[in-house]
Amino acid sequence: MMGTVDLVSAQDVHYRQRTLWGDAVRRFFRNRLAVLGLIIVLFFLFLAIFADLIAPYPYDKMHLDKTLRFPFTDPEFLLGTDEIGRDYLSRLIYGARTSMTVGLSVQAIAFIIGVPLGAIAGLRGGMADFAVMRLVDIMTAFPGLLLAIMLVAVWGGGMWKVIAILGFTSWVGITRITRAQLLSLREKEYVEAARCVGANGVRIVVRHLLPNALTPLLVALSFGIPGAIFGEAGLSFMGIGINDPVASWGKMVGISSAYVRVYWHLAFFPTVLIALTMLGFSFVGDGLRDALDPRLIE
Amino acid sequence: MTRYILGRLASLLFVLLAVSIITFSLMRAVPGGPFDEGKQRLPEAAKANILRKYGLDQPVWKQYLKYMWNALHFDFGIPYQVPTTTVTALIAQTWFVTAQVGLMTIGLSYSLGLAMGLIAAYYQNSWIDSLVTFVAMLGTTIPNFVVALWLLLLFSVRLKWLPMGGWGEEQNRFFFGLLSKDWIMPVVAYSLRPFSTVARYTRASVVDAIYADYVRTARAKGLGERAVLLRHVLKNALIPMVTVLGPDIPNLLTGSIFIEATFRIPGLGKYFWTSTFNRDYPMIMALALLIALLWSVTYLFTDVVYTWADPRIRFGEAEGA
Repeated sequence: MMGTVDLVSAQDVHYRQRTLWGDAVRRFFRNRLAVLGLIIVLFFLFLAIFADLIAPYPYDKMHLDKTLRFPFTDPEFLLGTDEIGRDYLSRLIYGARTSMTVGLSVQAIAFIIGVPLGAIAGLRGGMADFAVMRLVDIMTAFPGLLLAIMLVAVWGGGMWKVIAILGFTSWVGITRITRAQLLSLREKEYVEAARCVGANGVRIVVRHLLPNALTPLLVALSFGIPGAIFGEAGLSFMGIGINDPVASWGKMVGISSAYVRVYWHLAFFPTVLIALTMLGFSFVGDGLRDALDPRLIE
Repeated sequence: MTRYILGRLASLLFVLLAVSIITFSLMRAVPGGPFDEGKQRLPEAAKANILRKYGLDQPVWKQYLKYMWNALHFDFGIPYQVPTTTVTALIAQTWFVTAQVGLMTIGLSYSLGLAMGLIAAYYQNSWIDSLVTFVAMLGTTIPNFVVALWLLLLFSVRLKWLPMGGWGEEQNRFFFGLLSKDWIMPVVAYSLRPFSTVARYTRASVVDAIYADYVRTARAKGLGERAVLLRHVLKNALIPMVTVLGPDIPNLLTGSIFIEATFRIPGLGKYFWTSTFNRDYPMIMALALLIALLWSVTYLFTDVVYTWADPRIRFGEAEGA
């Protein structure tokens, strides 16, 4: 009898070996706000992926005889219709798809530009570092949104152009973080150790430096996504982002300001969704930062 | 110190030069120009005349050099949208409006944020702390145009207390004409984010400072609670905030395009907008240079103030950070 118990507990000990990521996940799920944020984010992701199945109408279907219906008055159009009779609920659901696509793609671009530049600056030093940092200086002196507006003015709007433009204007933070991380990490003993056993430069960067620099980058990512969603909503709000008929919350808010005196729902619903998305992502970001920061371990 | 500042000034000049080149070439990168005909076609000769008048018939690099030469003599040209004035005068006029919003926002948000952050830290973990933390969290996440529309829906559409928009209209004045109802919503909507940042950082650094040894010493030598809080806690807690709040000031002073669009305020943001889309080259160039200059100077200024406020920081060491 005793023997079996011992065996089980010995296995338990083996399984309970704590890893950085295991600890982080545990800490993340212990944080109630972070979990709430994750639920919000997953909900909008779900809407985005299955918009075709959930939405009662296609996002561009017009009912020209039923324009500007108020919400909760017509069971056919639960949240009312917009100025050209499109079902508002459907457009709100498809808006989640636009927001999520933009948020994720923009950060992907920001990482593709930002990480290599930061890595070159941090590892090569010298002239390369100088050149990258001057580039960063220029981008910092030019507020991202204003540069984005100028680029849209030159290049035109539309989903993919907006993504490219926002991606191009939001890599500076990523570069800064990568560079700062690598500058401090490359002096660490384990890098020296790796070099001693004959690991080449690429291996050291990929296996030792980048994984250790990942934590702050992950946090930057989780704050960058709502930033990009805000950028798209802002551009579309001003009428230069996503083109009609694609649904975008920001654009819906922008158009609604002409009708806001009477048709309050046109402004109200998309603003609530924008606010919820931003809150969800920032809860997740805060949770990730707290969970991944080893200095916080009591 | 001098060497450090000189180096920073050199890099500032470089940034301005780069911004001018980028903006100049961006605006001219696409075919077409500010004087493209809409419905009515101009005779060839008239068009050529206009282009010559504004120097647009020259090669781009020549136009750029000419622009920079004039800019160095503080001549920023004539805005195409309002040819009766100069770029400098138009910017001064519109910036006056934007700066009003910005200054009121800075005044409101920084003082309120400081006070609420201090109170939240002092009554740590009380309901007022939770409330401040909650509002600050909302304020840093929710975009200002969303807040602006909510205010508009509630106070203009529903309650009809405040005007829908506009700036400095006679009939909206109150308190001997010194204040205007037009100001309330834009300033409140714009203040929420800086208020939240200030409250958050104040709370965090005051919480750090409250347990410091020098605070215990101050209490031990019998200082009153007020003197301890203001002279010892707050004074030391403010230093790290210089780097956080400093860079926000040019941002607030140049206004928000969204706020100005929502409340129909004729400020800098609106002109950045119309100039970009009407290809008003002289206006865009001047605005871009102005914004870049403001940002770079503030960053430099913040770093210098930071060192001055905290003598423990030395420039040689700060370089690597």
